[in-house]
Amino acid sequence: MKKAYIIGILMIVAGIGYLISATSDVSTYANFSDAKSNSKVKVSGFLIKNKPIVYDPNVDANLTTFFMEDQKGESMKVIYQNSKPQDFEMSESLVVTGKLENDIFYASDILLKCPSKYKDQEVMLRKNE
Amino acid sequence: MQEIQYFGEHLWPKNIGHFLIILGFVSAIFSSFTYFKATNNVEESKAWKTLGRIGFLAHTVSVLGIITILFYIMVNHYYEYAYVSQHVNDFLPMKYIASAFWEGQEGSFLLWMFWHVVLGCIIMFNGKKWEAPVLSILALVEVVLISMILGIQFEIGETLVKIGSNPLLLFRDTMDIPLFQNADYVSLLSGSGLNPLLQNYWMTIHPPTLFLGFASTVVPFCFAIAGFWLKEPQAWIKPTLKWTLFSGGILGIGILMGGAWAYEALSFGGYWAWDPVENMSLVPWLIMVAAVHSLLITNSTGRGVKSSFILLCLSFVMILYSTFLTRSGVLGETSVHAFTEMGLENQLLLLIIVFTAIPLFVYLKNRKIITKQPDDKINSREFWMFIGAIILLFSSILITASTSLPIYNKIAELFDPDFVGLVINEPIQHYNKNQIWIAVFIVLLSSLAQFLRYNGRITDSFKKKLKKHAVISIIGTLVLTFVVNMWLQIESVPYFVLMVAGVFGIVSNIDYFMGFNKFQWKNSASFCSHLGFSIMLVGILASGVNKRHISNNEFVFRDIMEDESLNKKVTLLKEKPIFMNGYWVQWTGDTLVNNERTYDISFTKVDSNNLILEEFHINPVSVYSNDKTEIVAFNPSTKHYLHKDIFTHIAGLPAQLMKMEFSKEMEDTLNYAPQMITTESPFISDTLDIEIIGIDYNPVHKDYEPKENDLAVGFDLKVTDKLNPDEVFNIKPVVVLRGAVVYKYYEEINDLNMRIRINESFFERFFTIEQDVEYEEIVMKEGDIIELGDLSLKHLGFNKTPDNKAYRKEDDDIAIGSKLEFISNGKKVELEPVYLIRGSRQSSVKDYDPESGIHAKFTSIDPKTGNLTFQIAKDERDQFEVPLEIANNVPRSDIIVIESIVFPGINLFWLGSIMMLIGMLIGMGIRMRNKKAVA
Repeated sequence: MKKAYIIGILMIVAGIGYLISATSDVSTYANFSDAKSNSKVKVSGFLIKNKPIVYDPNVDANLTTFFMEDQKGESMKVIYQNSKPQDFEMSESLVVTGKLENDIFYASDILLKCPSKYKDQEVMLRKNE
Repeated sequence: MQEIQYFGEHLWPKNIGHFLIILGFVSAIFSSFTYFKATNNVEESKAWKTLGRIGFLAHTVSVLGIITILFYIMVNHYYEYAYVSQHVNDFLPMKYIASAFWEGQEGSFLLWMFWHVVLGCIIMFNGKKWEAPVLSILALVEVVLISMILGIQFEIGETLVKIGSNPLLLFRDTMDIPLFQNADYVSLLSGSGLNPLLQNYWMTIHPPTLFLGFASTVVPFCFAIAGFWLKEPQAWIKPTLKWTLFSGGILGIGILMGGAWAYEALSFGGYWAWDPVENMSLVPWLIMVAAVHSLLITNSTGRGVKSSFILLCLSFVMILYSTFLTRSGVLGETSVHAFTEMGLENQLLLLIIVFTAIPLFVYLKNRKIITKQPDDKINSREFWMFIGAIILLFSSILITASTSLPIYNKIAELFDPDFVGLVINEPIQHYNKNQIWIAVFIVLLSSLAQFLRYNGRITDSFKKKLKKHAVISIIGTLVLTFVVNMWLQIESVPYFVLMVAGVFGIVSNIDYFMGFNKFQWKNSASFCSHLGFSIMLVGILASGVNKRHISNNEFVFRDIMEDESLNKKVTLLKEKPIFMNGYWVQWTGDTLVNNERTYDISFTKVDSNNLILEEFHINPVSVYSNDKTEIVAFNPSTKHYLHKDIFTHIAGLPAQLMKMEFSKEMEDTLNYAPQMITTESPFISDTLDIEIIGIDYNPVHKDYEPKENDLAVGFDLKVTDKLNPDEVFNIKPVVVLRGAVVYKYYEEINDLNMRIRINESFFERFFTIEQDVEYEEIVMKEGDIIELGDLSLKHLGFNKTPDNKAYRKEDDDIAIGSKLEFISNGKKVELEPVYLIRGSRQSSVKDYDPESGIHAKFTSIDPKTGNLTFQIAKDERDQFEVPLEIANNVPRSDIIVIESIVFPGINLFWLGSIMMLIGMLIGMGIRMRNKKAVA
């Protein structure tokens, strides 16, 4: 039975160690004002749809720029060095990961929340030919 | 309100289906109860067992019946049923009916139940004394599962309680909209069809396999409880071990298929992303594997019964927890493939609580049946196997803890409404950094423990042999590590450690199988699994750590980007090759079939002398929505080599190609400038010439679908780019008059950023309005030939059933067509004007040939003389004006953005993981044969 205790204690120690290390892996969503003091943050907010959303693969396939408003209402230009995600314009909210430099937010990753375009109960009618 | 008499509805599936659902529910309760009595009531056991069987068979028949009915109404497109309308449409190929069936929650619950009843029937036939207790619990699980599709609603006080969601509900019972005031609404309904993303063969094979894996975990769970229930601490181990191996093998294959689907058919660029849904299917499997090892210990030494029991129950409970997470909607935005909410959260929660409470109760009540055993020796095999099982359990606890973050957030919000939810910043790194060390421990334990003996029996000669093989393994590992690292060049310490551990696993497993097992079949199962696991780890390292984006055009971007790794996508112009990472890449064309556009992209590798070293084509796909108005998904295409894969998908298209809406928006905002040209006077500018080559009355255009009575005119235009005189573009814009509406179909010259279309005023200029036509009257007889200026006219004869597009026949008409043959500029034109007497009125129906511009009317017949009077006119056709409209600075649309990734050694991953799972099934097979040999 003693060995079982030793294993148990080891596991608990490892578990606590895991919890401590994991706290640095989680965070709440930040605002743009928090981003000024931090190196890398996740900002959640909304796409500003009446400001230009630019992605022109003719010029650069890895450059998308747009404007975003955070939860507190502050808006910021965002440069995302990647192609424009699918259904970007339709997004309800988005989360950008990256850093702020000279009042421009450089995003390395974008998460979209899109309205579920599927499986909403809707009646499909036949199209009259 | 008045009851509406609907017609066209099929009500029998609903009526029979509802009956079967109730029957299935009641018979499951009955079966569970009677099997319970059969277990506890020893004297009348036989009679109770018979009742239990009847109940379970009735339940089986009900489940199969519901499935059959649901399939039937889907195959026959009975859209009056909500489930049919939501998952099927007229265009869905029959081969995807099964996929549509389990696309919805209700269908997937039925699939789950289907496997449960199949497994239950197998146990009924060969379960012997385990039949009653095992099926009693299984039937209880079925009670709760079938309640998910019960579809009963009632009110307790103010609150509406909803139990289950019935897939056999009529649409009009689920919502109240004006449409259902129409007695004939059924004929108006259609379906939304299967999500195009899911229309592939993976959706046909992955869910049934995964659900068989899910369903099979219930069997060891039931056996474990039955063992404690019957107070038989050892007898349940042997049958359970077979089922546990089966379950582990199948569940693993199901999960692996999910990874293969993601990799082969979706644009994730990988097979595993630590998505919550993936995690929560992995966790029960990890615990299942731990349980296999615990059962093996119990089977060989009699120790560890309790841990086997706990692990098996935990595995099943985690299946339920996983079901809860993925189906309650709690995961929300953290997962890409969670189901949407169905209002079953409470029922799912109840499911977890009940099936956690039952094993807990049985355990606490009967735990005394396990006699205390002396402690394991530290040099025994079982001790280290047990440590391995504990580490697997630990791994699954870590994964579950992180994946359940949304649950903590929900709970915290209950206590503190201002609580701001936490998220994992970099999920993939987060999981990887912990699981790496677990993988290292597991592979080392699995390789080393097999050199030890159960109960720690070690002889001197065995010790000697061990030493010899230790040396072999170490040398083998060093050599192979060196070779593998030449290939992978791993720099990070944890990855390097994992690689060494994986290589050691490969070497020592092979060494053990050769040196100790002497290639014996009965030991091949663990060898296959453990070797497979080691190979899998090396494969994960090779394909994951060393994956490389090759889709960057190094000439263009090298200096501009601050972080080169961000540069993952590259733009391709149609038929314009670019050079990237040693390959010439060219998009040669694309074809649209149904709602899939397949792109043909060639990769060519050349050496310095321009000799082709390697050439292949890949065919990524863009998938249109069911109504074809937008692109909803991109499917990748992968070139497979033995040592690497080259994975490519389309990462983006110009907005105007993504959505019809954007395309129209763009066409509307373009600035088209008018430009009149004629056959004599082409458009000439400093940079551009446009001339008319010809006119086409049967034009073909990619966007134009010809309809009857259309007047479609295409213009063969030759556009010459003067700045680049080799570039001549032959295009054909089309303009169509359909009824009173004009449709303009533009042509695009991407290289000039230009679009050209024809202004609708063309029709007014080209065709003279009837009142402006200057007719000449001609009198002739049947068979006459007359010369009219440069026209020659011959009367070919009469037609009493006139063939004239403008003539619509009515009863009692007297209509006579005259067949006229004109020869104009050497070309034959046949017209058939009609002379018509309708009632007391005489009239004529004219005929017209747009190409030659000839108008002909047949105005009277003189029966006495046989004189026929015609009105003939001809439009000017030698020279005509074409009002062009030209838009400049149009964004080009012949571009695609692609992402290409090389996955080295990914086949090691597939090989290793398949070996690992096949090993488990081999283990099951060996144990089934042993049993037969004994009997």
